Amino acid sequence: MTTGFWHQAAAVVHRDLLRERRRGDVLWITIPFGAIALLLVPLAVGTDAILLRQIGPGMYWVIVMLFGVLVSVGKASNETLPQQDASALLGLDPASGFVGRATSATLLLLIFEMVVGVVAVGLYDISIIGIPWLIVTLIIVAIGLALLGTLTGSIVNSTSAGTALVPLLVAPLSVPLLLGATQSYEGLRLGHSILSWVLLMVAVVLIVAIIGVLTARPLQEM
Amino acid sequence: MQAQTRNRQWPWVAIVLSLAVAFTLSMVSPADSVQGDLVRIMYVHVPAAWLAYLAFFVTFVGSVGYLITKDLRWDRIAAASAEIGVYFTGLAIALGMIWAKPTWGVWWTWDARLTLTAIMFFVYLGYLALRRTTDDPVVRAGRSSVLGVLGALQIPLVHFSVVWWRTLHQPPSLVRPDGPAIQDPLMLTALTVGVLAFTVVYGSLMVKRIELIKLDDRKVAIEQSIERPVAGEAVTVPDLGASS
Repeated sequence: MTTGFWHQAAAVVHRDLLRERRRGDVLWITIPFGAIALLLVPLAVGTDAILLRQIGPGMYWVIVMLFGVLVSVGKASNETLPQQDASALLGLDPASGFVGRATSATLLLLIFEMVVGVVAVGLYDISIIGIPWLIVTLIIVAIGLALLGTLTGSIVNSTSAGTALVPLLVAPLSVPLLLGATQSYEGLRLGHSILSWVLLMVAVVLIVAIIGVLTARPLQEM
Repeated sequence: MQAQTRNRQWPWVAIVLSLAVAFTLSMVSPADSVQGDLVRIMYVHVPAAWLAYLAFFVTFVGSVGYLITKDLRWDRIAAASAEIGVYFTGLAIALGMIWAKPTWGVWWTWDARLTLTAIMFFVYLGYLALRRTTDDPVVRAGRSSVLGVLGALQIPLVHFSVVWWRTLHQPPSLVRPDGPAIQDPLMLTALTVGVLAFTVVYGSLMVKRIELIKLDDRKVAIEQSIERPVAGEAVTVPDLGASS
């Protein structure tokens, strides 16, 4: 990978973040939607404080997984066919485009995780334990979800089903991340080592990243 | 003509014969000392689960084959196998639930093997849904082959879940480092024959399904090659009498 590769990826990140600043899809739609979902759960399962403290971390990660898909897919499937053609004609390397889109989705997902996390802590009275490991988990989940969403977004891009199909594809594939994230919190709570769960998530991230980079060109050529 | 008819019929003959042998053996094998006749569900459940792994592994191979060679034959293999795999995964889950109710007292339990199998089922349902989004065989093959590779990550996770986690589900019955878990020779024979019979069913269904996909692709190609009137062709420029 040359300097040009990273330069192009950085340009894609800049473009995506600029688009988000103008449209505010994540900030004004997805984040409030996630917060409302966290508000609705206690109305359905009961408002007992002990119960909510127990289910809070799990609910938080489920919301991150389900709504995080919307964040990453939005970035991946925003391009219309003419825009894709223009990018190709300008000589944009498909792999750097993939890396750029995944990076901007990661940054937006981190913002989503943090804002929704504050809401979850407030509503469910979740105790924050092992802050350094918690930050590592948040970052890995954000990268993993961003990569999965970007990859599946590229797969379904310009098909008749469009983005409607992406949640069906991403949700089952993100299970190792969900397991890793929830079990890491549980491990921290009980004082156990969470290294094996972190390694599982890192392995998933690496595999999806490799597949995404290797298949970026064939997917763009379709 | 006769040879052609024979070629068309052999998969069905193979399916009926192999299933008949497997069914007979599963009926004559003894009842289990603990589970009683419920154990007979195993003679269909285990082969169905085996077929699911086999089918999804073939989907993975077909997807990799397509990504490397760009030959549509690989894609047809992957697609046919995924369809059969989804069907047999559904069958394995349904039979497992029927067995679980009288044995465990519940239709479903949050066991690692069960949950991961259900997730694998949805991954390949997504694969099939993706294939329905376009008629173009090349675009369809390219997109679904990436998912075929990605989805295969679940297969080892499902199979080894009973080894890696403490689960309610039994460990593997046949493929184990210390030999098969079943000691009774008749039960072991019935199960092995069941697995072989289901493999024959898989092979036969694959032949038929690949043939159908090929015909379907040809039909789409013919439909696309037919020239149709262009929209608006019937509209003609009105004569406003400007020439007079």
